[in-house]
Amino acid sequence: PRRRPEAALPTIYAITPTYSRPVQKAELTRLANTFRQVSRLHWILVEDAAARSELVTRFVAAAGLPCTHLHVPTPRRYKRPGLPRATEQRNAGLAWLRQRHQHLPPPQPGVLFFADDDNTYSLELFQEMRTTRKVSVWPVGLVGGRRYERPVVENGKVVGWYTGWRADRPFAIDMAGFAVSLQVILSHPKAVFKRRGSQPGMQESDFLKQITTVEELEPKANNCTKVLVWHTRTEKVNLANEPKYHLDTVNIEV
Amino acid sequence: NEELWVQSVLEMPKRRDILAIVLIVLPWTLLITVWHQSTIAPLLAVHKDDGGDSQRDLAAGLDSKEYCLSDRDIVEVVRTEYVYTRPPPWSDTLPTIHVVTPTYSRPVQKAELTRLANTLLHVPNLHWILVEDSQRRTPLITRLLRDTGLNYTHLNVETPRNYKLRGDMRDPRIPRGTMQRNLALRWLRETFNKNNSQPGIVYFADDDNTYSLELFEEMRSTRKVSVWPVAFVGGLRYESPRVNSAGKVYGWKTVFDPHRPFAIDMAGFAVNLRLILQRSQAYFKLRGVKGGYQESSLLRELVTLSDLEPKAANCTKILVWHTRTEKPVLVNEGKKGFTDPNVEI
Repeated sequence: PRRRPEAALPTIYAITPTYSRPVQKAELTRLANTFRQVSRLHWILVEDAAARSELVTRFVAAAGLPCTHLHVPTPRRYKRPGLPRATEQRNAGLAWLRQRHQHLPPPQPGVLFFADDDNTYSLELFQEMRTTRKVSVWPVGLVGGRRYERPVVENGKVVGWYTGWRADRPFAIDMAGFAVSLQVILSHPKAVFKRRGSQPGMQESDFLKQITTVEELEPKANNCTKVLVWHTRTEKVNLANEPKYHLDTVNIEV
Repeated sequence: NEELWVQSVLEMPKRRDILAIVLIVLPWTLLITVWHQSTIAPLLAVHKDDGGDSQRDLAAGLDSKEYCLSDRDIVEVVRTEYVYTRPPPWSDTLPTIHVVTPTYSRPVQKAELTRLANTLLHVPNLHWILVEDSQRRTPLITRLLRDTGLNYTHLNVETPRNYKLRGDMRDPRIPRGTMQRNLALRWLRETFNKNNSQPGIVYFADDDNTYSLELFEEMRSTRKVSVWPVAFVGGLRYESPRVNSAGKVYGWKTVFDPHRPFAIDMAGFAVNLRLILQRSQAYFKLRGVKGGYQESSLLRELVTLSDLEPKAANCTKILVWHTRTEKPVLVNEGKKGFTDPNVEI
């Protein structure tokens, strides 16, 4: 029996800020291994750099999935502990999406989320976020000093936040805990991550309040009771035995 | 003057013609693009049991123009689920890679195994042997393995605790993962007959390392024991075997004890299954092993230095990284635990 053709799947855009350090290639490799399992995923990699690095350029060429390679350096005055990170890079990803789609007529199918390069994503997460109509939310593991944080859901609506840090925030959620439909980004062209007037830890909240309200949020992951993404962090590498002089004769990329 | 006038007369119809051409061609190109896009996406979701279509690696083929048109209508290939065929279908010609992963319960366990599985799902003819350091096989691992769809074997053995020394601590003299790896070796020897077994390669993959897909293809041609560099071990960017111009390993490029018989990390070698079955008494030494000598304790029962096969372009490429994951800060759980323990992380 014949089946009707499905409408084209909405593309998932993953905006990943990245910066150079020893584990960068390893992180990107295992992230790519996950992303390559997801159909119609477009990876937007934004380097914190004044110019595209060779490592990431080579990596993108062999990544095996559609990838856009951007770069924007963080001004030095913002590179202090306690200040929000990756702001300029995420905004560059948003700007690229807006520039690419702005002139096309609505509604533009697509969902975007912010995928930091050291987190861990299950494949089920992408199925959940793909049906985002405006802004969807879900639990995040290993964050906020707890095993997980999550939106509190009643009757299919978000009514509060189960979080270890400042539950009084308008959106007490981690960067890894939400996705936004492309159409919402396009119809709010001025919504960006802010530096001025933004307290540490308020990045997500300040961004989300520009584009949505708590009532509008769509809870995923079984009414926010399943953990499908983990805020893992990778240890700093011990390079104590690297020689200061008499370097190796070959230059091997790590 | 006349030339200019003629030129301008010729130019005007040209512009009008161009405009006409654009107005006619543009709608067609738009139509074709839209049609192309809407039919490509459903075609990427190939049926698992659809014998008519020849298999290809979907993970690489997202935007590639190759897709298989069966004789039937395009419409019939559509599925409601956009799931890639994973793992790749079994091939009769490729040797099986048996990946041995010891694992133990801690907050990041499920995350680590999830991202490792996401890598392994790309590799054809892969058999995952997951060995828990536990008294019983846990429901978390049982569910996780089942949900991945990978070809797996689920084992467990608990490293004995040494109550006398430190109360609840595991016996510190047995390096972590040893009993679990040995159990996997024993399982392989009990399951496969050395005279009659399918070709296989055995690789010890800890659950927090990072593996490129290229690594698995490099190890597949192992005849006895193959070796390659590993990043982030021994306090270096990488450790590596030393390979001479004849392509033979003659030493080890490490700072930490380069005179070990095999100065190599667990992630830096693979063994042909036949060799494992032939040397059936070769195991990792359980006790009295100095730090960094674990790998040597097994390898010296299997090969000599000159037998080693260097991979990864004569050991000049990094295809595996010894990453370690930070212990997550769970201070807000308090002594009794705050979050719902039934929510699995």
